Parts: sequence; structure tokens; C-alpha cells
Amino acid sequence: MSDQKTPRKSAFGEVKGHIDALATGFKYFVDPHRMTLDYPAEAMELPKNYRGFFRLVDEKCIGCSLCEIVCPSNAIVMMQLPVAQSPAPQAGAQAPARPGPKVKKRPVVDWGMCIFCYFCVDVCPTEAFEPSSIHDLSYFEESEYRPTFEGFLKLPESPSKNSKKVVAKLDEKNGIKYEEKGDKE
Amino acid sequence: MTQEIKTVPFTYEVLSQLEMKEGILELQIGPAHAGSGHMRVLAWVEGDTVVKVDPDVGFVHRGVEKLSEDRLYIKAIPMVERPSLVDTVNANLGYVIALERLLGLEPPPRAQYIRVITAEISRIMSHLYGIAIYGIFMGSSTVFMWAVADREPFIDLLQELTGARVTYSHIIPGGVRWDLPKDFADKVEVALRYLENRMKDYEKVWINNPVVMARSMGVGKLSAQDATRLGVVGPNLRASGVEYDVRKNDPYAAYADFDFEIPTFKEGDSYSRLLIRVEEIKQSMSIIRQALKRLPEGKVIYEDYYKRMSPLMKEIYDKTGRVKFTLMLTSLSPPKGEAISRVEGGRGEMFYYLVSDGGKNPYRFRLVTPSFRNLPYFTHVMPGHKLADIPVIYGSIDYFPPEADR
Ligand code: SF4
Ligand code: SF4
Repeated sequence: MSDQKTPRKSAFGEVKGHIDALATGFKYFVDPHRMTLDYPAEAMELPKNYRGFFRLVDEKCIGCSLCEIVCPSNAIVMMQLPVAQSPAPQAGAQAPARPGPKVKKRPVVDWGMCIFCYFCVDVCPTEAFEPSSIHDLSYFEESEYRPTFEGFLKLPESPSKNSKKVVAKLDEKNGIKYEEKGDKE
Repeated sequence: MTQEIKTVPFTYEVLSQLEMKEGILELQIGPAHAGSGHMRVLAWVEGDTVVKVDPDVGFVHRGVEKLSEDRLYIKAIPMVERPSLVDTVNANLGYVIALERLLGLEPPPRAQYIRVITAEISRIMSHLYGIAIYGIFMGSSTVFMWAVADREPFIDLLQELTGARVTYSHIIPGGVRWDLPKDFADKVEVALRYLENRMKDYEKVWINNPVVMARSMGVGKLSAQDATRLGVVGPNLRASGVEYDVRKNDPYAAYADFDFEIPTFKEGDSYSRLLIRVEEIKQSMSIIRQALKRLPEGKVIYEDYYKRMSPLMKEIYDKTGRVKFTLMLTSLSPPKGEAISRVEGGRGEMFYYLVSDGGKNPYRFRLVTPSFRNLPYFTHVMPGHKLADIPVIYGSIDYFPPEADR
């Protein structure tokens, strides 16, 4: 049981309340606590594990389709891509020598549907997705949301890559403080 | 200036007769973002007095329940977060607990503690948002800006842990997806101390402000008896003097291990609904501190699951604390049966009901959200008040349309 007491009003308390409120307002007028950033002139440097756009590393992918199965928003489509050179038929004991697969399956993400949950990144048995912290992207046309397979092999370019990068630091007085980061890496 | 407000009887028959009367004006508030989201409030007024209010909900229905029926169990995790975007951890936790009960798993203690820590951070954010909404409803953009900005340090904390700002999808059956970073406890302490200091200024500018007191004391009263009868939940129920909190009454995760109080107020008016959120933030801070102090060592995912990981997955977990999904997790098919779970979300009790027919998708999933259960404030508390009291009552109950509409 922890019944709290509601503060009751008195004439004195009322005057004091008004003065307190105004004084506190004035305190912040003189010394404002700003948490906003002047984007895109300044942009936040996000932590390494930020769930941003990612790309596929073709050599690592084994085409298992697990990422497609687990994607909650069905943003992943498995593409059937022709394999350049077909391996030589095996001269084995099997009667009809089967040629190697003519197609390989590779995932492509529709960025318009992706919710960046990273289920696909976490489910991939070979770590074939390379994550990045790029997140601030916009497109002119709806079709641009769907990269081609080649487009999905490289990371998109961040529009704020030339902005001044700042790092958000927790601060006891200001909540969040932005510290400048050494210009470029 | 607080005067006794005559309450209109709680029957629709009486109220619908009023509709026929001459001189009654029908007002439509909304549906385009009438406050904290898209909803329409139909209000009938006689002069300046509200005689009937009908909240028209459903504008932001997401269909979480139905959509989950043709998806794998794990795919519903990001979906249950969507209705209550300022309180995603608690929404996620409730679903996963129901699923774990179906599967019969028990996550390791470290995972339970991490769940409590993130859930309490989420509660602080949700209450700050509630205070912000209350502020803007009463015309104070200062408090709105302050409270929304003060969520930022906490968003930053969870962003560092999970890599996302709002929709963390952090809790999975059997544990959590990421272990706490090394310096997490220190950072949390900085954020908590910041908010503690800041709360003193909130008290001066907003909570003890005579204007706020005059505007909200005695407005929107709901007695303990009526609150229980109407089934309202969460901080609003406790502001009416009913000591009920799922964390205490039906402990889940690691809540039984912690020492905390359930603040209650007798008045049940809008002002005490503001105060209760402030008090609960203090309690949440104490829970977070206790949990970080006593954080057990060990894995964040249950042992059997870890054993089934491939060598590459184990290596990643040991190095970075990131849990990779195994095939087992993606193709969960719980045995036939049903399970319920309740969690105390930022706005009140969230209820989950899962039915499995042995397949890979839920047979039925039911989600009852606190905002929906707080709707009686519109129908039963607002009538009898002045028209200008509608925003005050609406703001004080921290109603969030997407959460009510699911
Ligand atoms: S991040 Fe999530 S939504 Fe996006 S492609 Fe991967 S699994 Fe699908
Ligand atoms: S990206 Fe990974 S999960 Fe997706 S098909 Fe390739 S190997 Fe499988």
C-alpha cells in the first residue's frame, strides 16, 4: 500500500508555484538544453550495430532461402540467376550423369517493404549479409526501392556522407551531447 | 475553483433520449489525428456541457491478429510491436511469454533480467510520452517538447543495445537477441540521473504549476468502484485508488525478484493520473538500478538452443553477444494447446492469447491492449463535463489510438 498524497493548494503555494514555473522557464531561456541536430549539415554517427541498409556478399550465399522464409514483411524475393559456367558432368556410377545446377538462387530485398528487423541477417547460416548503419535514404520513384541483383551487391550511398559527423554522448546535465568526430575515416 | 460535477447516469438509454432533444449539437473531433493518433470522438453538447461522447475507433486498425495466422510464430514479433509504438518492449515481451508457455521453455535468468531492464526503460519512455501528450492537450508545448526530447537518452540506450530506435524486436522465444554491451550499466546510470534532475524541473514548470492544478484537479473523476466495474487498467486504474499491477499480482520475467511499490492515488481525477505517471517513472528507475546491480552471469538464450547452433553461430555469440537464429527458432511449431500471458505495459495490462493446432503458424492469436480498455473514460467520464474538459480527460488517460485498434 503506498497511497500518495496529492499536493493541495494554498494561496501561498499558488504564488510560489507561479514564481517557480516562471523562474524555471527563465533558467531554460538563458541556458537551453538543445537536443536537435542541424541535419543534413550535421549528421549523427550511428553505432556499428545500427540496423541500416545491408548488402549481399554473393560468394558467401548458399541460396538456402532461409532469409526469405523468415522475413516478416515478405520483402525478400529469391531470384533465379543463371550460373555462368556449368561444372563438368561427373563420370560417376550413376547412370545418367546429372549436370550441375544451371541456376542459383539469390535474395534481393525490396527496401520499400523492409522493416529493418534484421531477422534475415541473423538467420543467415553463412553471414552472407553485410550490415551497415546507413539509414537516411530516399528515392524519387517507387521502382527504385527494388534494387536489381547487382544493385543489392553494393551498399547504397548515404546522402549525409559529406555532412559533419557527430557522435551522441549521454550526458548527465544535457541528456544528450553531440561531440564532433574526426572528419573522415 | 473545483466544483462538484454532476455525473450523468451510466446508461445509454438515458443518453440516447438526450440526442433527440432540441438544442443539442453534435460535434466531430477528428478523425485526422485528433490527438495522439487517428480516431474520431463524437460529442453531443448542450450549450457548453457534454451530454454524450462516442469514441469512434478503428481508423488505424492493423489487423495484427488475423495477419499472424498465416505467418510463422516468430514473424509476429515485429507485428505485435506496431500497435503501441512508444512501448514496444512490453508488447514484444507479452507475446513471447505466451509463446514460451506454449513451447514450455524457460529463458535463462540473465535474459529475464535484460527483459526487465528494457521493459522498464520502455515504460519510462511510454510515461514520458503520456506526459508529453497531456501537456500538448492542455496547450503547453513546453512540456510536450521537453518530455519528447527526454525520451531521447533512453532511445539512445536501447539503440545501442538493439540497433534500432523504436521497433527493437529484441525479445525472442528462449531469451533475447543481444547481450548488454559492457558499459551499459554506466550509461543507464547517466540517463537515469539526468531524468531525475530533470524531473525536479518538470515539477516546477508543469506538475506543481497552479494553472495545471486548477485545470485538472477534480476533472474526469472516476471512483475506485466504477473503475473496477468498467474494467479500466494500468496507471489510470491505480490513479483511482485500486492497487493492481500485473508485475506484482502475477509476476512475470524476473519481477518477483525486485523491490518496488505500486503507487496509488485516491482522487481518480486527471491530476492524479498525471502524478501517477511521475511516481511510476521513479519506481521504474529503482527497478532498473536493482536489476543492473544484480544482473546474473550466463547466456542470454537457453542452453539447448545454444547447443544447436553451428560453430559459426557459436563463435559470433561468444564474441559479440549476438544470437543468431537457428532453424529451430524459425520453424517453431508448439504442441497443440493454448496459452495466455499478461504483462503490465506502459499504459496498463496487455493480454495475449495464443492457440496452436500443432502447425507452424498460430491458429488463433488474440491481443487485448490497455488503450482499448481505457475507452470507458470517453463514454462514462466525459459526459457531464464542459466541452473544454474533453482534451484534459483525453490527455490524462494516455490514450493511444493505434494501440486500441491493433
Ligand atoms: S531486415 Fe527484416 S524485413 Fe528487411 S529483409 Fe530482412 S527480414 Fe525482411
Ligand atoms: S543470404 Fe543467407 S539465408 Fe539468404 S539464401 Fe543466402 S545463405 Fe541463405
